[in-house]
Amino acid sequence: MIEVKNIKKNFGKHSVLKDVSVKVEDGQVVVILGPSGSGKTTLLRCINFLENADSGRLTIGNLEVDLKKSTKKEILNIRRRTAFVFQNYNLFANKTAIENVMEGLVTGRHVPKAQARERAEEALNWVGLSDKFNYYPAQLSGGQQQRVGIARAFVLDPEVILFDEPTSALDPELVGETLDIIKKVAEKGITMIVVTHEMSFAQDVADKVIFMDGGIVVEEGTPEVIFSNPKEERTKQFLSRIISLDPNYSI
Amino acid sequence: MNFNLEHFKESLIYGLAYLPNTLSLVFVPLVIGLTFGTVIALVRVYKVPVIGWLMAVFVTVYQGIPIVVALMIYNLIFMLKFNDLAAFLHLKKSISDMNNIWVGIFALSMAAVCSISEAVRGALLSIDKGQNEAGYSVGLTTIQTIRRIIIPQMIPVAIPMLINNVVGLIKASSVVMAIGIVEIVAGATIPSSRTYSFFEGYVAAAVIYWGFTVVVESLAQRLKKYTGKFRRNLYD
Amino acid sequence: MGKLFVWDRFFENIPKILPYLSVTFSIVVYATLFGVLLGISIVLVQIKKIPVLVQIVKVYVSFMRGTPMLVQLMLVYYGIPALFDPVFGTNINREWGAVNFAYVTFILNQGAFLSAIFYSAITSISYGQTEAGLSVGLTEFQTFHRIVLPQMVKTAMPPFGSDLVGLFQNSSLVFLIGVTDIMGRAKTIGTATKHVLEAYVFIVLIYIIISLGVRLLFFRLNNKMSFGKEEMG
Repeated sequence: MIEVKNIKKNFGKHSVLKDVSVKVEDGQVVVILGPSGSGKTTLLRCINFLENADSGRLTIGNLEVDLKKSTKKEILNIRRRTAFVFQNYNLFANKTAIENVMEGLVTGRHVPKAQARERAEEALNWVGLSDKFNYYPAQLSGGQQQRVGIARAFVLDPEVILFDEPTSALDPELVGETLDIIKKVAEKGITMIVVTHEMSFAQDVADKVIFMDGGIVVEEGTPEVIFSNPKEERTKQFLSRIISLDPNYSI
Repeated sequence: MNFNLEHFKESLIYGLAYLPNTLSLVFVPLVIGLTFGTVIALVRVYKVPVIGWLMAVFVTVYQGIPIVVALMIYNLIFMLKFNDLAAFLHLKKSISDMNNIWVGIFALSMAAVCSISEAVRGALLSIDKGQNEAGYSVGLTTIQTIRRIIIPQMIPVAIPMLINNVVGLIKASSVVMAIGIVEIVAGATIPSSRTYSFFEGYVAAAVIYWGFTVVVESLAQRLKKYTGKFRRNLYD
Repeated sequence: MGKLFVWDRFFENIPKILPYLSVTFSIVVYATLFGVLLGISIVLVQIKKIPVLVQIVKVYVSFMRGTPMLVQLMLVYYGIPALFDPVFGTNINREWGAVNFAYVTFILNQGAFLSAIFYSAITSISYGQTEAGLSVGLTEFQTFHRIVLPQMVKTAMPPFGSDLVGLFQNSSLVFLIGVTDIMGRAKTIGTATKHVLEAYVFIVLIYIIISLGVRLLFFRLNNKMSFGKEEMG
């Protein structure tokens, strides 16, 4: 179980997260929706300590930490229980696909090299890149890079994978294949928090949808409830705007 | 610490008095460098047979020679051979009538041609190949494409590198004191040989150079804002 | 006057000049080793934004980049005695060999130039690389050492190579403060024999060979670290 309680975060005078609390059960897939600037990406980054929150508490499994006053050791501990998939992939530019996937295992978790290699090969096969082990990121397409990114997160066997708009930097024709891989991860029963604008993905895969706006959680519930019967006016407006823009989406 | 402010001031004035010499040691090579450097860069980028290759070898090899060594050699040849040359050309001048600042200008020009050609070549290579093809496709000749399409796009890319070249030239011009040409450094230390305040003399020279290069760089910053507006796009 | 260039004299000069290559190399080696250390320290000051030191470092780098090497050499040669002798009662000019002034100048100069190279290399690497390292559970040190540093070295390599070529060339100025490097030796041969052109031509060849060698070395290193990117030759 993952729980974020009363998280607050300001950038200068601008308050990005105003007392947000989110709870995710084991094996759940939670999709966070919301307009840009709603704080959804910041929330995700705070969970992985890529941003330091101004206050709040985080629980992952049996480990509870203060989001503001946490030691380096606690931060490392949290990071080793979580994995992050970045919007612009952030593959290590100096390492090949397989080295990218192995890095967290070998250096971060001290898995023996041979064993790490075996697991990394398996993960890359699983995302459909069995022929690209020794390619550098610069030699891969965006979609392939993101699949390496997913394998790099997945191989760590984390308690949760955090996806930060994983398809929004991709060319439209590559979005589908990447979403399919993310669906495959979800089917494995891994706990996931996904920030995305892909409505049909949210509807197909999510156990719970959270709608954020202006630094607060406006509404949360099952996809059925959020998409067909939203209670809040802001949610309705957002959904109608998105749906009119997204030709793939139909209820 | 020994620092004589009066001697420093005197050196500063002497150094500034010889600024025009430094300016001609910078300006003339700069013009020559821009002209021949651009030609060499074009010849290399457009792979003109034989000449392109020769120029590549020349620039690569010549850039390996320290400017002070080249300067000493040119000066030596100038000193030893000028009278012969003057006689050959039926000139009524001898070595004693000549100012060897032209040797300095020649040495600096050779260096400028090489380094500027490299800067221009880098800028040319940064321009997308499609620009040439687009030029040809609307019926322009190679020369027209270079003049109307490629060079205007190249200038904003080349400017930062050219500014580096100018700063480099300003600094390099100081080596001509090794063959007795009086410019900023030699000028600033003229009083020093009387007062023995060499340190003050060189501090004065340093201050003048520093001011000079800082001014050039800040001008460059302004220039950057004027040129190349069309290069900006949504992604940068 | 005789002939300007005689091959016999050229070959006679070779054994007279070659031993002094060690002086040229010692200046380059000292300047590079200590210049790298000084450059790294300057970059640390800039990145950690250490108050006061940041401003000092900024002025220092600007001065070193904005004044001729020749002037810096003279400033150290006359400045160190002028600054230290009255305070410590020393007589540095006599006690020191001229080459020590050259070491000091070139280290100070390289420190500034290398700091600029390192700084732009480190800032050219996207912060996303650090975030990715942290997100897979690497410590900050591991992330720097395994992810950022290799990419930084690759970025810094080409300008570092050009800098090294420039350093070799600039070292030829030390004869002006009386250091006998290969250039200084060529001059003394000229004074002794009245024939200097052959000596100059020989050292020109040495400088050209060194410059081509350094360029080739860095070209190879650069290709080795291409990380899958096609580079122009």
